Amino acid sequence: MLAGTNLSKSYSSGKVLENVSIQIAPGQICGLLGRNGAGKSTLFKILCRLIKPDTGTVHVYTACPKPIGGIIEKPGLYPYLSAADNLKIFAGIQKIATDATSINQHLIKVGLPLDRKDPVRNFSMGMKQRLGIAIALLNNPEYLVLDEPFSGLDPIGVASLIQLILQLSAEENIGILLSSHLMAELSKCCHFLYVIDKGKIVNAGTTNQMIHAHIQRYSITAKNIAKAQIIRKYQPIMGINDVKITCPADEISAVLQTLFQEGFAVTACTPELTLEQLIENPVS
Amino acid sequence: MSALLFAELLKLIKQPKTYWALGAIFLIELLILVTAYYQGSTILDILLDSLKQSFYFEGSLLNGNLILYIVLNGLWFNVPLIIMIVTSGILTDEYKDGTIQTSLLQAVKKQHFILAKYIVAVAFTLVVIAFMMLSTCVLAYTIFGKGDLVVYLNTLNFFKSADAFKRICWAFASGAVAMVFYSLVSITLAVWIKEAAKTWIAAALFLVITNLLLKLDLGTPMLNHFFFPKLMDTWQQFFYFEIDWFPIFLNNAILLFYGVVLTFIGTWTFHKQDIG
Repeated sequence: MLAGTNLSKSYSSGKVLENVSIQIAPGQICGLLGRNGAGKSTLFKILCRLIKPDTGTVHVYTACPKPIGGIIEKPGLYPYLSAADNLKIFAGIQKIATDATSINQHLIKVGLPLDRKDPVRNFSMGMKQRLGIAIALLNNPEYLVLDEPFSGLDPIGVASLIQLILQLSAEENIGILLSSHLMAELSKCCHFLYVIDKGKIVNAGTTNQMIHAHIQRYSITAKNIAKAQIIRKYQPIMGINDVKITCPADEISAVLQTLFQEGFAVTACTPELTLEQLIENPVS
Repeated sequence: MSALLFAELLKLIKQPKTYWALGAIFLIELLILVTAYYQGSTILDILLDSLKQSFYFEGSLLNGNLILYIVLNGLWFNVPLIIMIVTSGILTDEYKDGTIQTSLLQAVKKQHFILAKYIVAVAFTLVVIAFMMLSTCVLAYTIFGKGDLVVYLNTLNFFKSADAFKRICWAFASGAVAMVFYSLVSITLAVWIKEAAKTWIAAALFLVITNLLLKLDLGTPMLNHFFFPKLMDTWQQFFYFEIDWFPIFLNNAILLFYGVVLTFIGTWTFHKQDIG
């Protein structure tokens, strides 16, 4: 278990974290949702022991030489070195294998090509994120902390990174804490969500709980959806290929069933949950 | 610790900046050689015309030893400036690229991490001085040959060719101690300042102030003896007619002691401060 308890941190500019408690179990994926400047990176740095909290404690119940791996703010890489050389440097400083086979295994694990020998400054953001994760995973940490891992990625990059995160959690039982200001990405991969605002945890719960408690809008995609009768009850806003309806989570299954009965083949139904809703309406 | 040292060396070797620094020093040497080749004889003839009527000088006074002495004078400003820029970059680049966070998220001790940087900075400085001396020796002796050395320090001092070479070698060794001190200062400044451009400005300022304070008299010989700017030109003492070994040894020992103290302060500060 990785646990931060009653963590507070202030700088000359003001209080950044106030009495924050957070915990991640092995194999669990936790999301930390908050606006820019809410205190996410500071919390991550404290959990990784890069900065000291003014009050509170961090406990990692593990015997690993490197309990936590992570990327904070951006993947910190040597831009003039290749991916393999970056891995060699970070593996070498902690005296773990740096032979070509081991380095290649680390690259394969995160889906990076073995034939790229050029400096990482030429890499795309997605590739840098993957290399950052490969470095974070060196020496088999039990927990992974990823700060804004989806920023700068295209939708394919996001989907592929989510796949990698799910795989690491399921196959290697790694506890993962990710932050983002985008609900959609976190809801796709997190078991548990924390919402942070102005340095305080203002909402927390399982992802299902949070979605169930807060979702009021759905985007439904189907051919000729504008002609459907059932959606007229739910303040529909027509888009080019979809319709947005305001509907409580309890009723969405019935709506979809009715659409099916009316002869509409629904191809997508996406809940739309905003960060503001989670900040303003905590789960009781 | 050995793994960290190896990693630091690897980074230094793979960084283009390292070769820019060596290239800059080589360029300065070349400029000195070219200037000396085309104008050196004329200037020396004007300066020493009257002396040549009274004394016999073996070989040309514009010789490899004189060129080496001129290059040695780069130890006043340009060489330490280049060294301070590169060595401070050993740490400030890590802050800029975020690799300091990545490194400290590995199973690495903070004190070992920074200590490795201090040690590699010292090693780099010694390599630079060795490169500077060897490249100048090869070029200067090949182009200008050997000969007696004339140096003006309060008065004109003349040294036979073989003696001059020995003194130059010792001066490079003593100068290397001063350069090591500067490199340790630059890493310590980087620990405090973190940002590359600000650290360079601070390093240049430190260098200028040190040179300005060199002639400052603190009143008592004891204070003067321990005042670090007065220790930076110890290498010059090899060009007085009589070499006084004890103060040279003492000055360098004090400077090394200051270097160790700086390293300790820098390591302690780094250990205490937040990263990020």
